[in-house]
Amino acid sequence: MNAAPGRWRRWAVRFAQHASWVLPDARSPWADAMRREIDYIEDDPAALRWALGCIAASYRARLAHRPSFSTRAAWRHVATSGVLMLFIGLALLENAGGQTQSPRPAFDDTTCDLPDVSPEIRPRLRCGTVTVPRDYDNPDAGHFKLAVVVVKSEQQPSRPEPVVYISGGPGSPLTIYAAHQARTPYAPRRDLILVDQRGTGRSEPSLCPDLGSKLLDANLAIAATNTEEALAGRRAVYLACRDEATGRGLDLRDFGTRVTVEDFEMVRQALQVERWSVYGESYGTTVAMTLMALHPDAVRSAVLDSIYPPDPVPLWSTIVSDARDAFFAHCAQDKLCSTSFPDLAGTYQDTLARLNQDPLVVTVPPQMRQRDNRMRITAPLFELGVSNLLYYATAYPTLPRMIQSVHDGDTQGLGTVLVSQLAAAATLNRATHAAVECRDRSHFRKPPARDANALDRMQLYGVCDRWSELGPSPLVPVGTSVPTLVLAGQFDPVARPALSHYVAERIGSNARWVEFPHIGHNVRQFSPCGVKIAADFIDQPEQAPDTSCADRIAPIRFLAKYQTP
Amino acid sequence: MPRKPNNSRQTRALLAAFFDRSQTWQHGYDLSKETGLRSGTLYPLLMRLSEQGLLESRWQEAERPGLPPRHVYRLTKSGLALAREQQELAAIAAERAGALA
Repeated sequence: MNAAPGRWRRWAVRFAQHASWVLPDARSPWADAMRREIDYIEDDPAALRWALGCIAASYRARLAHRPSFSTRAAWRHVATSGVLMLFIGLALLENAGGQTQSPRPAFDDTTCDLPDVSPEIRPRLRCGTVTVPRDYDNPDAGHFKLAVVVVKSEQQPSRPEPVVYISGGPGSPLTIYAAHQARTPYAPRRDLILVDQRGTGRSEPSLCPDLGSKLLDANLAIAATNTEEALAGRRAVYLACRDEATGRGLDLRDFGTRVTVEDFEMVRQALQVERWSVYGESYGTTVAMTLMALHPDAVRSAVLDSIYPPDPVPLWSTIVSDARDAFFAHCAQDKLCSTSFPDLAGTYQDTLARLNQDPLVVTVPPQMRQRDNRMRITAPLFELGVSNLLYYATAYPTLPRMIQSVHDGDTQGLGTVLVSQLAAAATLNRATHAAVECRDRSHFRKPPARDANALDRMQLYGVCDRWSELGPSPLVPVGTSVPTLVLAGQFDPVARPALSHYVAERIGSNARWVEFPHIGHNVRQFSPCGVKIAADFIDQPEQAPDTSCADRIAPIRFLAKYQTP
Repeated sequence: MPRKPNNSRQTRALLAAFFDRSQTWQHGYDLSKETGLRSGTLYPLLMRLSEQGLLESRWQEAERPGLPPRHVYRLTKSGLALAREQQELAAIAAERAGALA
C-alpha cells in the first residue's frame, strides 16, 4: 500500500478543494486543472505548496472577477490580506455547502409504497423524500425530490452511525429493492439508508424512461453489423432523448458524480446523521470515493465492492477479455471442466469464427420484440452475452457448457439467457446513465475507433460530445484517513483484481484489499464470505477483519457437457 | 504610465517556456518547475493568456490508470507570434548589453 500520503497531502487536497469553491463558476475548469496536478506531484510538501498557491490564484481570480475591483487592486488586496483570507478560507472549508445558499435539507415522510414488503419488514421502513437543488451553484434553478428509504435495524436500539448503500449503474434504481435489502443487514445494529440517485428509480427527474427499449434495436443493429450506420442510428436515439429532456427544461449539466455526492450530503444532513458508513457497489464506488474525498469528516468507514475503475479506464473489451481469459484458464485447471471442455478458450474463439461466418437463429420470447420471435445470434452478440454472464458467479457452472452448445449449433436455452440479461439491463435508466457518464468521463467524448470491438461501440463513445459538457471529474480519495475495504471478484469483467488493487494502493495505507475467488461483479451479492467480512469491517473499521473465509471459497461446480443442472 | 500587457517578467518567462517547445502540450506543474513560477502566479497568467486567445488548453488522459485527466496547454498562433516577438526583443536587448560590456 502507498505509505506516502500523509497529513500534508490531505491538507493539500483540502486546500485545493477550497480553491475550487472560491473560483468563479466560469473558471471552474481551471479549478479542476489546478487540483488535478496534485495527483502528479509526488512530494507531499511540494503538493501542499502547490495547493496554497491554488488558493492564492483562486482568490485573485475571484476578486478580479468582481466589477468593483480592478485586477491590480484585487492583487493588492490579496497581498495585504492573504493570510487573513487563508484563515477565513479554512474556516469556511467545513461549511462550504453553505455557499450555495441551498434550502435547509429536510426529510419529508411519505407512505411506503414499495413492492414485496412483508409484515415483518414494514414496521422497519421509513420512506420519504429529500429536496435538493437542481444546480448547487444556482439555487434559483429549481429542485428535485429524491426518494429515500431508511431501513431500521432489526435489533433496536440501533447504533447512531448508519450504513448508506450506494448503488451502481449509473442509473440503477434502489429503493424499490428495500425489502430485499432489509433481509441481509450490512452490519449488526446499523440502520440502512437507501437513496434513488437523481434521475433513477422514484427520484426526480424522469429522464427518457423508454430510452432503454429504444436502444435495444439500435444495440442489436451494432451487434449484427458493427457499421458506421448502425452507430449513427444509436447516436440518433440518444440525441432524441437529449432533445426531449432539454425541451422539458432539464439541464443535462445537472448530473454527474460530483452532483450526486452533494445530493448524498443533503440526505445525510436531512436525516441528521453525523457520520455514516458508506457501502458503494460498482459505479457506487465512484460516488463513494468522491464522497470520501469531498466530505471525509462525514464518512466513518467505506466499503468499495467491485470498483468501477477511475479514469483513465482501459477499454471495456480489454477488461472483459482479461476476465474471460482468467475464467478459461480456471476451467483448464479444474478437473471436471477441463475433462468436459478440454480447450474452452479455443472452443470460444472457434464459436466466434463460426458465428461470424454464419449467425445462428434462435427463437426468443415476445419480450425481445423481434420479428417472428426470432433473433440472429451474431459473434458480437454472443461475445456480449458471455461478457454479461461473467458478472454473475451463479452463471459460472453452466457457462462452459453454454459456450460448447452454441459452438455445436445447439441454441436451446439461449433465448432464455438473452431474456434474463435483457431483464437485468432493463432496470437501468439509460438516459441517466448517459447523463452521469457524459459529465464524468472524458474518453466518451471521442468517437469509437473504426476497428473498435462491438463491446466498445455499444458504450457512449461518440455520444457524449453532443450530449452535454464535460463536468468536474470524480475523485479518488488519495491518502484518506477513512478506513476503507476494497472487495474484488476474481473474474470481475468491470475491474480485474489487479486494477482494483491498484486503486486500493492509490487510496493509501488505510485501504484493505481482498480478492474473492470464483466471484465476478458485486462480491457481497454472491458471496456469504463477502457479507461477513463487510459486516465485521463496518462493525469495527479500525480493526483488520478476518478475511480467511476468502481463502476457503467453494470451488465452482461446473456442469459437464451433457449434465442437466 | 500603464504597463504594457504581457510584458511582466513572469509572463515573459512563461511565454519563453512555451516558445521553447511550441508544438508540445505542457502541464501546469511542469511549467511551474521550468519557470520557477508558483501555482499562485502561474495559473492567473495561464487564465489571462487563455482569455486573450494566446493560449489553448485541453484535457489529456493520464498515462497510468487511477490518475485523473490533466489540463495541458500550448500557445495559439497569436500566442506564438507574441512569444517570438518577445524572444527577438530579448535577443536584441542581450546583444545591446553585450555591445555595452
